[in-house]
Formats: sequence, C-alpha cells, structure tokens
Amino acid sequence: MKVYGLFAVVLALLSPVASATEAKDVKAFTLDNGMKFLVLEDHSIPNANLYLFWKVGSRNEVPGITGLSHFFEHMMFNGSENYGPKMFDQTMEAAGGANNAYTTENTTVYTDWFPSDAMETIFKLEADRVRALTLDDEMIESERGVVTSERSTGLENSNFRAIWEEVKGAAFRAHPYSWPVIGHQSDIDNWSKQDLVDYFKTYYAPNNAVAVVVGDVSTRDVKKLAERHFGDIPAGKAPRPIHTVEPEQKGEKRVFVSKASVTTPNLMIAYKIPATSDPDYHALSLLASLLGDGNSSRLYRQLVDEQQLATDIFVYMPESFDPNLFYIYAVAADGISPEALEKGIYRVLETVKTEGIDDKELQKVKNGKLMEFYRTLETINGKADTLGSYELYFGGYEKLFEAPEDFNRVTRDDIVNAAREYLAKSRRTVGILDKAEPEDELAALPATSNERGE
Amino acid sequence: MKSTLIILLSLIVGAFAGAGQTADSFRMPDFEQVQLDNGLTLYLMEQHEVPLVSVAAFVRAGAVLDGEQMGLASMTGDGLLFGTDKLPKKAVEDTFEFVGANLATSVASDYSVLSMSSAKKDLNVLLPIFADLLTRPTFAADEFDKHQTRTLAQLQQRRESPRSVINDYFDRAMFGADGYGNPVSGTQKTVGALTPDELAGFHKDWYQPDNVALVVVGDFATRDMIARLKKQFGGWQGQSKSRPDSDNALRTLDGNQVVLVNKSDARESTFMIGGPGITRSNPDYVPLIVINTVLGGRFTSWLNDELRVNSGLTYGARSRFNALEEAGTFAISTFTKTESTEAAMDLALETYQRLWSQGIDKAALDSAKNYVKGQFPPDYETNSQLAGLLGQMFIFGFGPAFINDFEQQVDSLTTDKARQLIEKHFPRDDLQFVVIGKADAIAELMKKYGTVSRYEIEADQYGD
Repeated sequence: MKVYGLFAVVLALLSPVASATEAKDVKAFTLDNGMKFLVLEDHSIPNANLYLFWKVGSRNEVPGITGLSHFFEHMMFNGSENYGPKMFDQTMEAAGGANNAYTTENTTVYTDWFPSDAMETIFKLEADRVRALTLDDEMIESERGVVTSERSTGLENSNFRAIWEEVKGAAFRAHPYSWPVIGHQSDIDNWSKQDLVDYFKTYYAPNNAVAVVVGDVSTRDVKKLAERHFGDIPAGKAPRPIHTVEPEQKGEKRVFVSKASVTTPNLMIAYKIPATSDPDYHALSLLASLLGDGNSSRLYRQLVDEQQLATDIFVYMPESFDPNLFYIYAVAADGISPEALEKGIYRVLETVKTEGIDDKELQKVKNGKLMEFYRTLETINGKADTLGSYELYFGGYEKLFEAPEDFNRVTRDDIVNAAREYLAKSRRTVGILDKAEPEDELAALPATSNERGE
Repeated sequence: MKSTLIILLSLIVGAFAGAGQTADSFRMPDFEQVQLDNGLTLYLMEQHEVPLVSVAAFVRAGAVLDGEQMGLASMTGDGLLFGTDKLPKKAVEDTFEFVGANLATSVASDYSVLSMSSAKKDLNVLLPIFADLLTRPTFAADEFDKHQTRTLAQLQQRRESPRSVINDYFDRAMFGADGYGNPVSGTQKTVGALTPDELAGFHKDWYQPDNVALVVVGDFATRDMIARLKKQFGGWQGQSKSRPDSDNALRTLDGNQVVLVNKSDARESTFMIGGPGITRSNPDYVPLIVINTVLGGRFTSWLNDELRVNSGLTYGARSRFNALEEAGTFAISTFTKTESTEAAMDLALETYQRLWSQGIDKAALDSAKNYVKGQFPPDYETNSQLAGLLGQMFIFGFGPAFINDFEQQVDSLTTDKARQLIEKHFPRDDLQFVVIGKADAIAELMKKYGTVSRYEIEADQYGD
C-alpha cells in the first residue's frame, strides 16, 4: 500500500518536469553535408555549450594503432589552418570559453563551455579544425609524451585502470574492445603521422558527427552559424562498419595483476552483455541499479555493510555500440581474500536469480532512474551530454524523453531473466589485482619424491 | 519549545534581491536569511526549474577542532548517518533511496555538512528524518564498529595513490602537527582509538543551533518553508562551546624544505611546490583568482603550457590557492615519469619565477579576466551548487557581493595592481616541496631543492 502511495507521488512529478523540458523543445536540423545539430534553448544562466560527438572511438582502431582515437583527440587542439598551434585554446579562453574532450570505446566528444556572446568564436574554432587540421611533426612528438604521462598517471593512481585493461584484453580476443582506450604504450610510441592523416580523412567528416548546443542561445542563431561555418565542409565517405563480432565465450576467463603497493585485493568481474540498442538494455540498467546504486543496493548492503567483505563496491555498465561488458568492481576489506569476496558477490547474484525481487525493490530502482533523469536536466551540460548520448546510442534524442516510460515498463521478471541470462559463469571474465600472486601450486605440493611412492 | 514558532520579521537580517539578469552580468538570485530564536540561521532560495529541493546543514566545526584526535570531526560527520532513535541506519537508507533522494555528509578543515536532495513532494517524509539525523543522532555502537573497521582499511588503501595523499603531506608540512596540519580523515592510529562517545561529545560541543546554518534551495515557497523549518527545527535547543584558540599559524620555513615520500613501485613522481597563501575573507581573493588563472588555473596557463604543451613532460600542471577561514596556502602541482623528475621540477620553478621576472602583461590579464568571468555562472547553476554557495557565505562570512561585485572586481584589476599583489601574496622564498616517488631514483636529486625529510608512503603518518 505504502509502495503504491509513494509511487503515485513520483508519477505526479512527471508533468511539471516534462513541461520544463520536452522532446519538442529540442530543435533538430541537418546540414546538406550530413552534419546533424540539436539545439535546446535554456536561459537560466548567460552561458551555453557546444558538444560535438564524433562516431569514432577505440573500436575503430586495429592492432598497431591502438589508442589512436584518443591521441587524435589530443591532436585536435594542436593547430589548424587559421589557428596555429596553441591558438585554439588561447582564442577560446580569451573569449571566456573553456573546453575539454573525452574518448571512449565508441565515441570522441569535444566539449566547449562559453558565455553565449562568444558563440561565433567557438563555431569558427571548431569548424576550422574540422575543415583543415594541421598535423605538425613537433606537436605530434610532444603530444606522445603528454599521452604517455596520462596513461602512466592513470596506472599509478587508479587500481581500476590497472585491472581494467587486463580484463578487457582477456574478455575480447577478436573485437577491438580488447584494448584500452588509451592504447598500448608501444603503439603510442610508434604510430606515424600518416596514421593520423588517414584517421582524420576517414572519421572527421561532418556526416560522422552530431553537434549539440544547449544554453542561452536562439535556435535561429545556431542554425545561421552552423551553416556559415560548417556548411561548406564536404561530406566524406561513410566509414567502413566494424564487422568483427566477438566469438561466443564458452567458459569463464581469469586474469591476475600484481602491484606491490596494493594493500587489499581489488576484484573486477565483467559479464558479456548486448549493445545498448538491445531490447534488454533497460532491464539490465535497472539490474545494475538494484545491485549497486546506493547503500540499500544488494551488493553494498550485503558485502560492505553486513558481511564486511568489501570496503567499496560498484557496478558499471557503459553505453556501447557493440556487445560489451557489465562490470562489478569491489575492493576487499582488510584481511579478506579475493576468493571470499568473489564468492560473496556470486551469492548475492544467485539470490536475485533464484529468489527474485519484490515490487518495492522494483519501484525503488525505477524511482531512482526518474530522479537521475531530473538531475540530468538540471544543468546545461547534463542536457547536452545526455541528448547527444541518446542520439548516438539509443537511436534518437527523442528517446531521452521516453526513458522514464521505458524504465517503467520493465517487470520484475524482466530483471530476473536478465540476471539469469547474462550474469552467467560462462559469460564472465574475472580479474584480481593484489600485492603478489599466490604461491606457485607446486610449492604447496608434497615433495616430488613422494610421487614415486617412497 | 513553542517559543521558536514565532517568526520575528526583525530577525530577518538580510533579504537580497537580484537586480534582474542581463546578458553580461551574473547576479546572485534572490534569497532570504532568517535567524530563529534558538540561533539557527536559515538561508532560503527559490529555484523552480525542476521540482527538486536541496537541503544542507552547514556546521561551523571541522577537522581544525580535532586536536590530537585526528579524524574526530570526519567520523562524527559520517556517524550522523548511523541512524536515529526512531530509525536505524538501514531504515534511513531505505527511506531515502526508495524515492531516489540523496543523503550525504562531508567534512572539511573548517566545517561539516549534512546534505540531502529530493523531489519536493518527498520532503514531508524526509525532512523530519534529516532533522533527527542532524540534531539527535545516536552514533549506534554496532554501526560505529563496522564503520571504524572499514575506515581503517580505507585509510590504508588511500596510500596506494600519491594523488590521494599528497595534500595531507603538504598541509602537515605547512601547518605542523595541529589545526590545519591535521589530515581531515585522520590516521589509522587516531581513528582506531575513537569511540562512539567521543563522536557524541563532538556533536554535543559543536552541532548546536547557534553554530549551524540550514540552507534550502529549490522548488518551494519561502514563507511556507520558513514556517515548516521553524516547526521542524525550532525546538532544537543548546549552545555550542566557545572555540578554542587553535594554532593555525603557518610554520616559518628556514630555507627550502623537501618532504620526500618513498613509494617503491612508483612509475612517476607526483609533486607540489608552495608556501603561505591567503584566508578566504582576504579582500584580494578575487584578483588572486585572476592572477592564478594566468599562472596555473587553466589550460593555456604558463605552467600547463610549459610542462605539458611545450615539453610533453606531464599530462597536466596547475597551481591553486587553498583559502581557509584562518589561513591558507598556495601550491603548484604536477607529476611526471620518474626519469624526468628534475626536468619537470626545474621547469615548474623557472616558470613560477616569471611572475616576478616577466610579470603579467595586459593581453594575458585581459584574457584571464574574460575566462574567469565566462566560467563563473556555471559554478552556480544547480540547487546543490547554490546551497553550497550560501553555506560558504555562512562559514566564511562573505556576502552576496562576492557574486554581484565579482565582475567589477575582476575588471578593476590592472597590470600594476597585479604586480603589487604578486609581491604581496605569492611565496617567493622558503618554499615547501612535497615529492612522492621512487626514492631510490630521486633521493639524491632532492638535496638540490632543499633540506630533505624522508617518509614511506605506507607508514601511518604525514610528518613527524
């Protein structure tokens, strides 16, 4: 009773939020060269942003140029026809703007944040590097050092990073999700300028991008600037699709990473799941929340709070073009072995699979998704990032506004079935990061002479 | 108890009106500040964009009051969430998380915060629980035991990452073994010695209405909210202890000092170089943000340009002022692979000297001013960010002028004034270095920079 009472309260919230931002508030247009723009006016602060989503990430790489998508992201800041080395940042910052960029397995995203009156400067800068990027030899060499430092500081400071690349490498033997987004060090050291030239030509054509502008702007102005600055950049040939399908995994895979400074074992368990576009996405996403979101989640409550097997635990399910991984990551409590922690996690998963979930828990995770949706819409950056993500991963930005309903349709059975199907032993890769590997098994055996019966 | 139900309008010490937004000036949104009879300060700001409300209680008590019991303020903050007489910890979590609400605590050197964010319609259920957690926490012994065990493991785990601990070494070196020199999260030894009674004692000393501001930002009507908060918090009675004369003075350094922290499996050296800075209430706070933007506060800053863009020595180099209530520090920070430690440290020092040898020209200053102004509004966009701003106003004693005069203060900085401020506020001699890395490879080199003290990263200490 209480459950449904509270649920009614949450549902009632839908209308005021929907009236704050709806699908029809987003204006979409596509230039003749195929570059798509999404615009959402929001006048709450005198600022705006431009998020440029490129459909290229580490999945577009091949051995020998692993990490090139990310390196390319760096090179996009190192000079173009009308703005020489350093001028992109200098011009943008002098106009009050700031920027960043990130690369994932699937996409490369460039983010600019600026006072609205600087919008034309931002468009000029972005268009110039898309039209005519220059790849200066000295800048390439210096940038190798920067990316080497980025890779190294990640491995130095993050246990997750250290174990993640090993787990991915084991989980995928054919598909390019096998290597880390930052790439192998030997590839960072050795890719050539020609590799970069080819990459630019193949992937940085306007028809391979989606631009999102959110903030204190008018759609008319955005359209005018888009046409003026991006309109004459020629379309390119559509990049070749990634046809490699990871062969079906037939049994559990395991990896071990040793790092002397680790104080308690870290554990990563990664299950093969379908792409974000799959109909099971929403059930899996709710399953991830049920397992890992908040102190009342199954894994946290059982393993961190009640059994004290872990000091921290979380679930990570990245959006993905191709079938990818559902990660469970845990840090062992003092004195807890990786085996005990791992068993503890499986026991929790087993409970979901065999005993199911009740209505209240289902409602909790749905309510959580709804609140997450509102919080996303609280900032212009949240709006831009999420609109772009839905456009790329879910088949259209409109799907963002259908998300609460899509989650709402998921049943208890859907979630339990997803757990049974996907969180299966044969689909998982297990990684353990610890101070040192356990002793060699032979050392624990009796002396070999015994085998001769002496 | 009922006496506090009366709102005396004369107690409204401030009602500030934003003068309407124009394209190029960002103003403080309207808010009201009210003081209840029991001394509790309320800040209320209506924001109607989404049907959410953020509530945050800012308590004027942070790690600076820990004394020798390092970690006491932090554990007390954590302990608020161990539950109340009416609701044990799990029931609190279940109630908040069922409706997708957030509940969190955080503790800094100068203050502690209990905060929540929820749909406005859930406040009826959640606000009374929030009030109980703030004013009548039980610090349940069984929950304390579990939390203490977990915290001890985490204190050890954070030593796996140089970036997690380097600031604690730096503060310890700058302030000595008390006050701001205390690591906020404590050490294994001091946290291991704490008891639930000591948390309750800290709570009783400092979590009192005259020492707390309750900040509410979001989708509500101010009059209704004041009435509701009076009903909820009006009966809270008590007085906080008077603050001790804590020793927050910076140590005087005699020549350059180097704290070398050995991490045997380090692949890189992580370092900070700095000295004394300013308090948060220093009138030069805003112009110093602008000057620091040129030196190390953005991508094209001198430090990042030299160490990253020109030389490829690092992924990033920056500088910052850490402005606290009674003191502050300034520091440069970056990291580089072990083999290039000397090159990076030399280049950082050389670039820093440009503040004096070359100074800041008009073009650099103008660019930094635009940057700082352009990036300012997004810092105050969400309910939680605005609640944080109001809470900081309470803790550090600044007013809405910080927002409303920000642009004018930025604009009025000239190159002459910048030169004076550099002379006055940036430490030039007697610098404090902290370097975390592979001592076998860099210990000898460290002597070049100053008098060296050496520690091991896994040891349960941040200084002598």
